[in-house]
Amino acid sequence: MNRPSALINLSAAAILLVVLFPALWMLQLSFRQGGDIFDMRLVFVPTLDNYRALWTGLFPGSLGNSVIVSLGATALSLLLGVPAAYALSRWRFRRRRALALWILATRMAPPVAYTIPFFLAYRFVGLLDTLLGMVIIYLTFNLALVVFMMRNFFDGVPRALEEAAWIDGAGVWSGFRRIALPLAAPGLAATGVLCFILSWNDFFYALILTRTKAMTAPVAIVNFMQYEGWEWGKIAAGGTLVMLPVVAFSVFVRRYLVRGLTAGGVKE
Amino acid sequence: MTTEPSSLERLLPAPRRAPAALPHWRREQARAFATGLAPALFVLAVITLGPTVYLLVTSLTPLDPVHPHSALDFSDPVGNYRTLLGDGRFLNSVWVQTKLSVATVGLQLAIGLGVALLLNAGSRFLETARTAFILPMVLPPIVVAVIWKVIFTPDVSPLHRSLDALGLPVRSLIADPDLALWAIAVADTWEWFPFTMLMVLAALQMVPDEPIDAARIDGAGRIALFRYILYPYIRPTLVVAGLFRLIDSIKAFPLIYVLTNGGPGTVTEVTNYYAFVESFNFSYWGYGSAIATVMVAGVLMLSWLVGRLDAEQQRDE
Repeated sequence: MNRPSALINLSAAAILLVVLFPALWMLQLSFRQGGDIFDMRLVFVPTLDNYRALWTGLFPGSLGNSVIVSLGATALSLLLGVPAAYALSRWRFRRRRALALWILATRMAPPVAYTIPFFLAYRFVGLLDTLLGMVIIYLTFNLALVVFMMRNFFDGVPRALEEAAWIDGAGVWSGFRRIALPLAAPGLAATGVLCFILSWNDFFYALILTRTKAMTAPVAIVNFMQYEGWEWGKIAAGGTLVMLPVVAFSVFVRRYLVRGLTAGGVKE
Repeated sequence: MTTEPSSLERLLPAPRRAPAALPHWRREQARAFATGLAPALFVLAVITLGPTVYLLVTSLTPLDPVHPHSALDFSDPVGNYRTLLGDGRFLNSVWVQTKLSVATVGLQLAIGLGVALLLNAGSRFLETARTAFILPMVLPPIVVAVIWKVIFTPDVSPLHRSLDALGLPVRSLIADPDLALWAIAVADTWEWFPFTMLMVLAALQMVPDEPIDAARIDGAGRIALFRYILYPYIRPTLVVAGLFRLIDSIKAFPLIYVLTNGGPGTVTEVTNYYAFVESFNFSYWGYGSAIATVMVAGVLMLSWLVGRLDAEQQRDE
């Protein structure tokens, strides 16, 4: 590729500034004093009052729920999905393509189609407003993601290494544990992070399937708006706290983002 | 998960014979793979096929909380679907969805392509810029909604304040029936143009250098270079990216929930939102299921299209 001119760098920087501006605006709002919110001057004395107010309320509990549910959903989907992905990568069986298509289709379905049956079933078995209930419904999108992404990564690990191990007497799963899995470790990390982000970001399922006990942070933010009046500083502070882990992680998984979000729909 | 290396060793007369040739080992291998595959498939079937069947069944009943025993009332199985066809609010929601999808997918393709072309040069700065540009798409959708609620709320909005200062006061865009949907389209485009940008960038990286160099030597300008060399290479990617965004646009929810609640009136009420309102505000579960079933059918058709296009591309390569 040719080297970019100063003009290109400059216009890229300008566009980037415009794109990031709305997010930065929310960020600065979260550091403003209550009375300052409607002040448009860019120079102000930053304060942590909004964050302090959040910390003394119910928000930390929701944030904790978000962490538990996201970690739980990620762990469970990796545990179930990684061996399945390995089998799909190494085992040539009939209907392999049909199976892959089905797994892709489960990921395409609109969430509202899942929420009605899950809501009715959860009401019946008592899983409404529970952390376990949320972990289970997050499997509906995470499991397919894990199977697809990890299959891709296992496809990239040369078969010959495991075949040599098999010849030396190793079983399928000890070859998986000792050779394929360590070699696919970067992929495993990226897949895990992506699962975490998708679970952490969910709003729709949490809105419908939780009330108070299992409420996650995104729903808590919306409750600030609806039930506690328009405390913009607090809303912005909550938004900032929810976006922080995702921003940190996304730098790490940028390369895998498209592959993850299209989950098997495109070949790379 | 157990293995029997000793029995396998006994079966290996020559030390370097491929194990796949041995029927016993093959059977054992198949059994091991099936053991790894089975739990995931079982769970996936229970949490996805189960609910889909349940959804279909519920859509054939008039189920709501007032009539809990109607869960198995199939006396008028297509009743909900008949109602749908005459339900102005549903038909309106499909039209709103169509407008929103066309606008957002078009804008995301155009802007994503433009930014990708701008960033497709090798400098350290542009590399970093790429990572910064993806921020909107990884943000939690609810945070995106909060960000744009601020922008569209005159009290706290930098946009409204600046316009006021310039002597051009405008009403809140999300309160204006003519503009609310386009305000949502802007926010949605902001959130998702990085997706098309990333896909186009990946495709641009696959374009070989030779034809570009050759065209340059022949004196092709930037526009000709794009039109005749780059575009043919990235066209399939644009189509697939557009279809993916189209499928996802049908799931639009947090932006609408926070920015407009489907209003003013029903001008921003997309089908997904209407299904949510019928199912969870009014608790008409049977009717909501029928709407959701129609949506699933639409999404499956679009997914099938993605699969076909992808297969065609692979054949072409």
